[in-house]
Amino acid sequence: MLTHLPALAVIIPLLSAPLCLFLRRPLLAWLFTVIASGLTMLVSITLLQQVMASGTIVYEMGGWRPPWGIEYRVDRLNAYLLLIVTSISTVVLLAANTSIEKEIPRHRLTLFYVLYLLSLAGLLGVVTTGDAFNVFVFLEISSLAAYSLIALGEDRRALWAAYQYLIMGTIGATFILIGIGLLYQMTGTLNMDDLSRRLPEVSQTRTVFAAFAFIIVGVCLKVALFPLHRWLPNAYAYAPSIVTAFLAATSTKVAVYLLIRFTFSIFGISFSFTTVPLQTIFVILGLTGIFAASTTAIFQKNVKHLFAYSSVAQIGYMIVGYSISTTMGLMATLLHLFNHALMKGALFLALGAVMYRIGSVRLEQFQGLGRQMPFTMAAIVAGGLSLIGVPLTVGFVSKWYLVLAALENGWWPVAVLILLGSLLAIVYVWRIVETAYFNEPPAGRESIEEAPLGFLVPVWMLVSANIYFGMDTRLSVQVAEAASQALFGVSP
Amino acid sequence: MDNEKKHFFDDPNNVKRVLRGFYACCVVLVVLDFVIHRHIYHSWENLWVFYPIFGFIACVVLVEVAKLMRTVLMRPEDYYDEFESDISDRPDANQGHRAKSGGHDVDT
Amino acid sequence: MWILEIPPFLPFFIAALLAAVTRGTLRGVIMLALPVASAIHLWTVPEGVHLQMALFDYQLTPYRVDKLSLMFGYVFHIAAFFGIVYSLHVRDTVQQVAALMYAGSGLGAVFSGDLLSLFVFWELLAFTSVFLIWARKSSRSYQAGMRYLIIQVLSGVILLIGALFYAAEHGSLEFGFIGLEGIAGWLIFIAFGIKCAFPFMHNWLTDAYPESTATGTVFLSAFTTKVAVYSLARGYPGTELLVYIGAAMTCFPIFYAVIENDLRRVLAYSLINQVGFMVVGVGIGTALAINGAVSHAFNDVIFKGLLFMTMGAVLHMTGRMNGSDLGVLYKTMPKSTVLCIVGAASISAFPLFSGFVSKSMVMSAALENDYHLIWLMLLFASAGVFHHAGIKIPYFAFFAHDSGLRVSDPPNNMLLAMLIAAVLCIGIGVYPAAMYSLLPYDTGYNPYDATHVLAQTQLLFFSALAFVWLNLRGLYPPELHSTNLDVEWFYRRLFPVAIQSLFAAIWKLDGALRRAVVTRLQKYLDYLSGIYHVPSGLLTSSRPAGSMAMWVAIFLAGYLFLSFVY
Repeated sequence: MLTHLPALAVIIPLLSAPLCLFLRRPLLAWLFTVIASGLTMLVSITLLQQVMASGTIVYEMGGWRPPWGIEYRVDRLNAYLLLIVTSISTVVLLAANTSIEKEIPRHRLTLFYVLYLLSLAGLLGVVTTGDAFNVFVFLEISSLAAYSLIALGEDRRALWAAYQYLIMGTIGATFILIGIGLLYQMTGTLNMDDLSRRLPEVSQTRTVFAAFAFIIVGVCLKVALFPLHRWLPNAYAYAPSIVTAFLAATSTKVAVYLLIRFTFSIFGISFSFTTVPLQTIFVILGLTGIFAASTTAIFQKNVKHLFAYSSVAQIGYMIVGYSISTTMGLMATLLHLFNHALMKGALFLALGAVMYRIGSVRLEQFQGLGRQMPFTMAAIVAGGLSLIGVPLTVGFVSKWYLVLAALENGWWPVAVLILLGSLLAIVYVWRIVETAYFNEPPAGRESIEEAPLGFLVPVWMLVSANIYFGMDTRLSVQVAEAASQALFGVSP
Repeated sequence: MDNEKKHFFDDPNNVKRVLRGFYACCVVLVVLDFVIHRHIYHSWENLWVFYPIFGFIACVVLVEVAKLMRTVLMRPEDYYDEFESDISDRPDANQGHRAKSGGHDVDT
Repeated sequence: MWILEIPPFLPFFIAALLAAVTRGTLRGVIMLALPVASAIHLWTVPEGVHLQMALFDYQLTPYRVDKLSLMFGYVFHIAAFFGIVYSLHVRDTVQQVAALMYAGSGLGAVFSGDLLSLFVFWELLAFTSVFLIWARKSSRSYQAGMRYLIIQVLSGVILLIGALFYAAEHGSLEFGFIGLEGIAGWLIFIAFGIKCAFPFMHNWLTDAYPESTATGTVFLSAFTTKVAVYSLARGYPGTELLVYIGAAMTCFPIFYAVIENDLRRVLAYSLINQVGFMVVGVGIGTALAINGAVSHAFNDVIFKGLLFMTMGAVLHMTGRMNGSDLGVLYKTMPKSTVLCIVGAASISAFPLFSGFVSKSMVMSAALENDYHLIWLMLLFASAGVFHHAGIKIPYFAFFAHDSGLRVSDPPNNMLLAMLIAAVLCIGIGVYPAAMYSLLPYDTGYNPYDATHVLAQTQLLFFSALAFVWLNLRGLYPPELHSTNLDVEWFYRRLFPVAIQSLFAAIWKLDGALRRAVVTRLQKYLDYLSGIYHVPSGLLTSSRPAGSMAMWVAIFLAGYLFLSFVY
């Protein structure tokens, strides 16, 4: 059983999805989904322990040896990502039963869980697989499921947002596919490990350059790197709250993983960072992203929009760390993957609670919530503090390493800009705080109560994780450090 | 207010008396300058009644300069208000809410 | 001996929590018992590091005790105690909680052994104290509080950046001597400077403190600037630049104080002036000078607190604070008058009052180290401070022209708090040895020799003579309702106006450009739809996806181009 763990991580949700379709009662479907997601979480925890203890695990699908068969490969980076995705998914799911009853028509509830499981399976597949074409397949599975999930939103604009996302996502996926096709043409293999060994021989050809360009642009679209981010705010804003929390915390993270995997493992550091001034381009885009998106966030009237733009800005931080391309920089990015998943998970879930009680997350609706929903609002404030990067929260940890990495490289203007970016975060978080705490509830909304426990428990689990991992950084820092050292070929 | 109890400084003679006492103190202090031997740290301290002169002149200069500053720096009391009120109607509106809702005593 | 590990900020935070959920007498008892218990506890704590933990690769020391921090720890407890007594009648929970949190943050800051803990408390100081300003619940105080908060948070952010650079340069976050070396040194210096109200960075203080409540200002005056002085004394002793900055701080505010009408703003200016003496002391950096700076901070907390309390009492009873609206209150507020005069005598450094025994140390140190010009400036400032804080405050509030106000002395708790502070002022002045024994260095300094006493008395009496003379001749500037321009003009007037006109210009340009482009585009579209009969609705509504696809294309093209030419 233990040897099959890498496959199990994908197979459990993938098989649960059709099974779930048979469960007519939403409550049963919910329990089933929670159990499935919880199981995959256990699997990924075990995997992470194994990988940390004994190194990379290779699993041959169906007993076929690579490069003929599909290989699953779990190293520190994969295991880390698996843990992020499955744990956030499980915690978010805890609130799902309460949340979607108000946001999704009853007859579609089972469908929601099926799609959710499919999306989860897709994301996990992307992370575990060691086969480039398989990446594309799983990416499509998760994306198609995500489009439908977003379209489930009760707001009619959700359809429109899903459609936009569909177009852009498909362009991105196609680009990736084209890139992979070109690579196959040049090397005759789809196995990542093989690719990385054969590519150096042909690396100075235009086909490989083109493949690289297609893949990078495709992945950047999925990452929602500024200025390719425009599908994201609407998709996040109009999707059902649970979907927003899940996608915001996981899907862009997986895309960042792909970016790292393609550039560091497959194409190799020397190719990726020397043929094109990738570093400079990404630093500039990342920093512009931070400032442009944070500034836009300040002027949003819908709080989901606000945090969606803040997500785009946070992706900017990850990209800056990535483009510093030192172990420290990459480590900061990996840390931020984890930390950002925690904060955005908490924030969007708390917004779900607001949605549940008020039916809207427009900023003016937040008036007086500080007194009416004290625990939910406290969670939003805590998440906001983490977003700003206040010490003793996770946000501080990743920013700290990011700034140190920039300083270590002598890029101190970048360090200063990163910190200035945090000031913008103060502004948009403050707007929410001010509205919620310094205003009276509008007329006709005096009787709002605190969110039900179904929400509060998972929200506060994430908030306490935000604080706990802000103080005890052993787990995240150790794994992130090990993973980034492995990517740089430094034996830990 | 006429039936109010007479206070100390209501009588101009008292004011005069206090002032006279004060002048006397000043004179005594100047005289003491000749009696008590001071340690000298700075050459200016050798000057005759350095501290009294310095104190007096310093204050006159201070006040005169401050008066000059008024001609340049003084603005109406609501100088900033007129400008800041139009960018911040909102907090004003909030104030009403807050004061009402708090139900606490404002101690001012 | 686990009890030793309780850092002093913790009981304050716990008490704040309790104060938030209790009311009435119970809350009063908790709030009063707390600083007493915490002070007794602090008295028993030996020097050394009491709490350490590791964060990332760094050693954090949230609780380090040595003589320097203890001195500030003691006086913060004293200030918290009389502040709490003074505000016992206040029923506004937010204020009570904020005051306790604020005092706790101040204590946390002075016992922080590393820059990161310092930063945390630094920002907490800002965030807790701003509620004391907002508690006035006027739109003026809201805006002043906002400006205060922005500047304070900015100072914290600069401190954090400085700490980051410091960590990168030294590989350690320990908060010891820093010095003006490298970017880290300068950044941290600026951060401290903002909180310390260096010239041109001082306006937050005179802007915000007078807008706070009667009780709030008492707390405000005690902690923020003193934490900054402590930090400078820890990180930058002997930095010559500080001598000049400090001297400037002693001199320029007194001019403003003379023409200022709001008496609490007068005190705010004189607060900067007093902090200036401390900064000079830190800058000189000898044992005597540091002792002077620290003990002056100690005394300033008490006598400035006393002065703010008496003015708070006036504000509380009359609802007015402008010198032009007050006067002849001595008839009905005799006790407050006497207490105010004690405070005034202390700040003016009359012999036998607390200011004398500390300020003279700084002045002697300046002379000993051949800062003659600086010494003259300090002497000028001493005369000036007597002039505005020593005479002007009590004179315009309690004597001067009859305002017709007849209010009684404030409630007993306020009187008691003022009495405690006044007793301390005189006690320290009469028997300074007790305070001297707590100082970081043993210098054997004796303030009461004939030279000092005579010189200081002469200086003060003749300053007073000047006041009398100017008043009798009618040369003294009358108190007028006015605003006096200060550095804040740049960010309260010039900057907003400039921004507004800039944006107006930009919008205009933008509008014109847009119109031009739109008309062009419209013509083009009309032309196109004329040819292809394309419904223009489709074109406009697909814009997000379209523009994104365009970006993708640009990206790809740019990428390919670069990879081929690079």
